[in-house]
Amino acid sequence: MNKYLQIFKISFAQEFAYKANFIMWRVRNVFQIFLIFFLWDAVFSDQGRVVFGYDRTKILTYVFGVMLVRALVLSSKSVDIARDIATGELSNYLLRPISYFKYWFTRDVSSKVLNIMFAVVEFAILYLILKPPFYFQTDIFTNLSFLISVGVAILIFSTLIFIVSTVPFWAPELGWGSHFLVTVVVVESLSGSVFPIDVLPQLVQRVLMITPFPYLIYFPIQVYLGKIGGFQYLQGTLISLLWIVVLWLVLRRVWSKGLKVYQAFGR
Amino acid sequence: MVLGQKLAIMFFLTGKIMRFVFFFGFLFFLIVGTKTLVGYDSNQVIFFFLTFNFVDVVAQFFFREVYRFRPKIVSGDFDLTLIKPINPLFQSLAGGADVMDLVTIPPLLFAVFYVGSLLNPSLLHVAFYVLLLLNSLLIATAFHILVLALGIITMEVDHTIMIYRDLTSLGRFPVDIYRQPLQGFLTYLVPVGLMITLPAKALMGLVSLPGVLASFGLGLTAVFVSLRFWNFALKKYTSASS
Amino acid sequence: MDKAIIVDRLVKNFEVTEKEPGLTGAVKSLFSPKKKTIRALRGISFTITPGELVGFIGPNGAGKTTTLKTLSGLLFPTSGFVSVLEYDPWDRRPEFLKQIALVMGQKNQLWWDLPAIETFELNRAIYEIPKRDYEENLKELVDLLEIGKLINTPVRKLSLGQRMRMELTAALIHKPKVLFLDEPTIGLDLVAQAKTRDFIYEYNKKYGATILLTSHNMDDLVNLARRVVVIDEGRIIFDGVLEELTERFAKEKIISVTLSNENDIKRIETIGKVKRMAFPQVVLSVPRAATAVAAAELLQNFPVSDLTIEEIPIEDIIRRVFKGGLKRK
Repeated sequence: MNKYLQIFKISFAQEFAYKANFIMWRVRNVFQIFLIFFLWDAVFSDQGRVVFGYDRTKILTYVFGVMLVRALVLSSKSVDIARDIATGELSNYLLRPISYFKYWFTRDVSSKVLNIMFAVVEFAILYLILKPPFYFQTDIFTNLSFLISVGVAILIFSTLIFIVSTVPFWAPELGWGSHFLVTVVVVESLSGSVFPIDVLPQLVQRVLMITPFPYLIYFPIQVYLGKIGGFQYLQGTLISLLWIVVLWLVLRRVWSKGLKVYQAFGR
Repeated sequence: MVLGQKLAIMFFLTGKIMRFVFFFGFLFFLIVGTKTLVGYDSNQVIFFFLTFNFVDVVAQFFFREVYRFRPKIVSGDFDLTLIKPINPLFQSLAGGADVMDLVTIPPLLFAVFYVGSLLNPSLLHVAFYVLLLLNSLLIATAFHILVLALGIITMEVDHTIMIYRDLTSLGRFPVDIYRQPLQGFLTYLVPVGLMITLPAKALMGLVSLPGVLASFGLGLTAVFVSLRFWNFALKKYTSASS
Repeated sequence: MDKAIIVDRLVKNFEVTEKEPGLTGAVKSLFSPKKKTIRALRGISFTITPGELVGFIGPNGAGKTTTLKTLSGLLFPTSGFVSVLEYDPWDRRPEFLKQIALVMGQKNQLWWDLPAIETFELNRAIYEIPKRDYEENLKELVDLLEIGKLINTPVRKLSLGQRMRMELTAALIHKPKVLFLDEPTIGLDLVAQAKTRDFIYEYNKKYGATILLTSHNMDDLVNLARRVVVIDEGRIIFDGVLEELTERFAKEKIISVTLSNENDIKRIETIGKVKRMAFPQVVLSVPRAATAVAAAELLQNFPVSDLTIEEIPIEDIIRRVFKGGLKRK
């Protein structure tokens, strides 16, 4: 346990060495929130409007919710795994008595902690500036279900990144390309980061809810808003847990194959 | 290695196309559900979106080399750029054009034409549009030069570029959706509004001749200022290196 | 434990996809990849006893680094048997990993922007080193490598030599029983090289650690390794003491004569190959077997005032080894 605490600490310290980097990352996050916020603000400029089952309060709560959930679920250092494999840095970790997955998961956790700290501050500032009608969930049970779904989302995202990161075992040049494709584009579009999934037609929604992506952002926020509960909640959680199992099995298979092909480059 | 890069570029291309399609799909459903956005109808909103993409892609096509700038500064290879007989600014800006980008530009151009025609613009308005698009490219050029100059001074190229990209991506929608003072900021200070919203508005007949001329004035000023800044940065660089 | 390392008929092949240039080539390689097998190790066998210091030499691409990587568990053997400290390296058991270290020239494990001490602390946690042992080891290594004042400086601010010493500290902080060193002196200046060699020698003597090092550097081998294993094209062509290497592979000996007068000096070419002619010194090389006869002839037929018989310098032999093409006897 101590080893992972050390990793957590050193990872945290490392982020501070790259202060400018981190600040820029947060600034960019804020810009993205601006975009979504004003878009929906404009759509709902007519105060009483109800579109796709959302009124102004709920949609703007959604947007602010995205800010926080993103910081918890989507912030990750694991994208560096691809680089480790492509450059041969992976060897350093294979040589030491440490689980590579646990190592990166710990680093992710440290990154998420740092990010959520900043996100909360940004939330507070933006709340004061933009004054959105935010819906504060008071039901304890709902909040608990929300936290569980966030935890599940984190596991889905982590396994997904790990899997995508194994591409360099076979094609070192495609590391960033595959990450961009899956981790950035697909996740951004289908997770609910820009728009809640239920603005799409019913059929599309149903298909999407079978994929793991909406469970990253959309599902947890809906749970928080109280729009998903009871049976739907159980159904959704079951699907996400299933996805975690599937992804984990795929990861193990791909990873052990990858290690055998690994040539431990460098020289 | 070259072909590996080509494959990687194909991945990026696919990603970009997917991103475009997804966002377009979202926009489409949004408009279908809401009918108008800050007073613009669906075709108009789509046109704003397409104009943004067009300016974005063309600027990237021309200035791809800027993304390779930081490693050159950090490693000192920039010195090699300086001793070559071609203007170093030109070298750092252009020359990185990728044939792959040409794949995305024609369909975009076609889409712009098509949706634009649905808006029934007069010839004058079309002319305004084209002129203001050129102005947009001027402003984009000024931006990139500024980024390069900042890169020489602070070595922080990547972030500045990404901020530029993030700011311009706010132009996916007409800047009218943003409340003041953000709207003013985006229209005049960081001229996203000028670059993207204005040309599209011109096509819709919402901009007068003085407006066009004023924008050009701003565009040319921007280029002028950025060039001065570049020269300043160069002087600082050459006097600093030993 | 009888043997620290056992390698039996180890074979390692790499599958490499050959890609044709251009876009069509890239697409083709996706659907019908043309694979080429690189036979890095073609069945090598050797054993090493605990506490030995062994040098692996051979030309580029011979399989030295591949051997080290397989022994440390990074590479999966295609076939054959490998055992280090009675573990199978590929299993990568924590107990096994806690006792070994692999130090490769380019690969560094230090966190770049933080002081080296942070990485040492991290390793302490990873290897689960008890506090007292950690502090002892750290002190010893810091003294031995003379890096005391630098451990709190961010790594990126250190010079290459200083960084390498930090790397060594980080790699040895858990006092491994088996050390794999891949080109430990590469890129260092002469002074740093000598210091590194001294350190390795001390470490071996003091802790009885088994050390396997690969090198391209003659001085490393001559001054450090007593036992030498020569690998060429994936096969071991020699395994034994350094001096034996000369006997086995040097087909000639050197005879240096000092002549008292210059008459008929040209005739000396009939005795052997003239390597250097600078009156009064002449240096000849003659086939090993014929050395005695050649010496006798020289003494009989030439005005010799001094004569010495020597082996070909070890450096020349090793140089030939590096160039490849050493034939087995």
